[in-house]
Amino acid sequence: MSTPRIRLPESASEGEEIEIRTLLTHPMITGVSSDDPRDMLTRFEARMNGETVFAYDFANGSAANPTFIFFVRAAAPGEFSFTWTHEDGQSVSAEESVRIS
Amino acid sequence: MTRFLTRRQFGTLVSASAATLAMPGILRAENTGRLLIIGGGFGGASAARFARINYPDVSVTLVEPQTSFVTCPYGNLILGGKRALSDITHSYDGLRARGVDVIHDRAQEIDADGHRVTLASGDVLDYDKLILSPGIGLRWNAIEGYDEAASEVFPHAWWGGDGSQISLLRAQLEALPEGGVVGLAIPDNPFRCPPGPYERISMIAHHLKQANPTAKILAFDAKEGFAKQGLFENAWAELYGDMIEWIPASGDGRIMRVDPGNKLFISEFGEEHSVDMGNVIPPQYAASIARDAGLANDSGWVPVDPRTFEAEAASDIHVIGDANIGTPMPKSGYIANSTAKTAVTAALAEMSGRPAWDDPVYFNTCYSHAGEDYGISVAATFRLSEDGIAATPDSGGVSLQGDLSEMARTRRLEARYADAWYDSITDDMFS
Amino acid sequence: MRFSRRSFVSGAAASAALVILPIRVAALDLSDDVAAHVNDILGGRDPREGGIELDAPAVAENGAQVPLTIRVDSPMSEHDHVTAIHIIATANPAPGIGSFHLTPHLTRAEVFTRIRLAEEQEYLVLAELSDGSVLQAAARTAVTQGGCVT
Repeated sequence: MSTPRIRLPESASEGEEIEIRTLLTHPMITGVSSDDPRDMLTRFEARMNGETVFAYDFANGSAANPTFIFFVRAAAPGEFSFTWTHEDGQSVSAEESVRIS
Repeated sequence: MTRFLTRRQFGTLVSASAATLAMPGILRAENTGRLLIIGGGFGGASAARFARINYPDVSVTLVEPQTSFVTCPYGNLILGGKRALSDITHSYDGLRARGVDVIHDRAQEIDADGHRVTLASGDVLDYDKLILSPGIGLRWNAIEGYDEAASEVFPHAWWGGDGSQISLLRAQLEALPEGGVVGLAIPDNPFRCPPGPYERISMIAHHLKQANPTAKILAFDAKEGFAKQGLFENAWAELYGDMIEWIPASGDGRIMRVDPGNKLFISEFGEEHSVDMGNVIPPQYAASIARDAGLANDSGWVPVDPRTFEAEAASDIHVIGDANIGTPMPKSGYIANSTAKTAVTAALAEMSGRPAWDDPVYFNTCYSHAGEDYGISVAATFRLSEDGIAATPDSGGVSLQGDLSEMARTRRLEARYADAWYDSITDDMFS
Repeated sequence: MRFSRRSFVSGAAASAALVILPIRVAALDLSDDVAAHVNDILGGRDPREGGIELDAPAVAENGAQVPLTIRVDSPMSEHDHVTAIHIIATANPAPGIGSFHLTPHLTRAEVFTRIRLAEEQEYLVLAELSDGSVLQAAARTAVTQGGCVT
């Protein structure tokens, strides 16, 4: 799987709203309308300081190159991780940190 | 100074005008009404000419800052080396000869209640009916770092103005290093001329194919698709091989920031793309005069009555061209020309005693040049429906798809039709 | 690469989509397939109309990538928040589009993603709340490819 693209602010104050944008380049082939074999992600999870704050279960109507925008209440120490899991069990992750003041 | 007479002075002029009937223009017209038109582009010039021909008793004043008009349509052909700036520059003398009072000044402020407009010079014009065709404003800094100064490095070339923007883009193209990268940033809908960016890509490629064949074009788009996409992509593959890469929003194509000093485009997800030259077509809204007058809604565009093009927010002001919300009609020169006539007819119905059209039909064809002798088009007609304006089913469509080997004649003919369209619509504005 | 707060705001403003008028879910004639999918999510609960705002283009230029913002009216507090948002197609080969899972760590129940629409159709949004109740809304998007879209 390709390298995830994440956008979040460099710093935030404790409790402040931050916008997070994520994009993973992936064809999301359902195998329904073509002869190409199915190649689909099953779940996206965003964690802050180890705890899941936002998740998405993919289904056939999810578009290729899945993109999400969501808004999180920043909490120290501001460690974020993002994981995309494929239906075959493999996954790709990215980690980012936001300086919390 | 007030250039027009006030209502109270009408009476004296009616008797005075009997002696001056042979004189063309403004004096003869004073007694039946004053039509003021702001903006001398596809909407405003079309409205002025149409009004003079069909309502000779109405005085028509056109306010336009530029002393000659550079069209946006066919501007891309300058990039392709197929036209010179003089070919797309038009004089207002034809409108003057028809009796339009053309004032080269900038309309600064509209007093809708007082029916008057203040110009940058301080002159004040009274009107009975106002046709407002001001075009677009560019949302400076909507793309971070893209302001007026940045447009001297990364030109937008998205309004005609004095022609300097399109000339700058052409000069940059000629100076592009061998194998250099041309970046384009293309906005989300709605914006002026939906197929325009893709014709521009084509014309840049047309130039580079001859002058700099190893150069690359990276087209970053905030959208997921575009007008005549299949036809354009087919043309790009046939004519330009792999020179052009189009990147939609879902491929991180939305440009959020530019750094003109370092010639960088920065994407939604922070990818830095280094370019040798950049054309940034920023997000747009109605020109400031319309927004400042309180005519626009939150979208930045002006909602209008689809039957008369009278602004929802003010009576006796009819807003035409790219500034209004005319969905599903595109923001095209052809629609501005087509709707100008309905707006004039509606505005002058009361004073002329000739009714407004109750079932107007609007025509649109967007021609694009994708290469040498390679024209493509999309056409539709629009008319009123219960929900406002609607495309007439099966009234148009796009050019036939197919390989160049079998479509060469069609593509060549459409390129000629495009040229003829340009000549006839500019005649309908300025002759 | 990081962005300043200012660019967030202007970027969001610049990408304003058309707000489409809500369609009453109850007025829709759902296929057995779609109804079964919806009933699976509801588990016998009776959804309320409203409380959900959907931003999507009335006409999408590419059915494979239709941008959709969903806003649910919710304080997103520990005791009163949205737990899940499901998107369901009514005329795709399969009804499932995807399901968001939300927590009170989010400041608002506002999410964006892109969806696939095989053709012009209504799509449903069901929002499950922390008190067990369900909100529903629907919208319609037409799909054109290659037209002179505005």
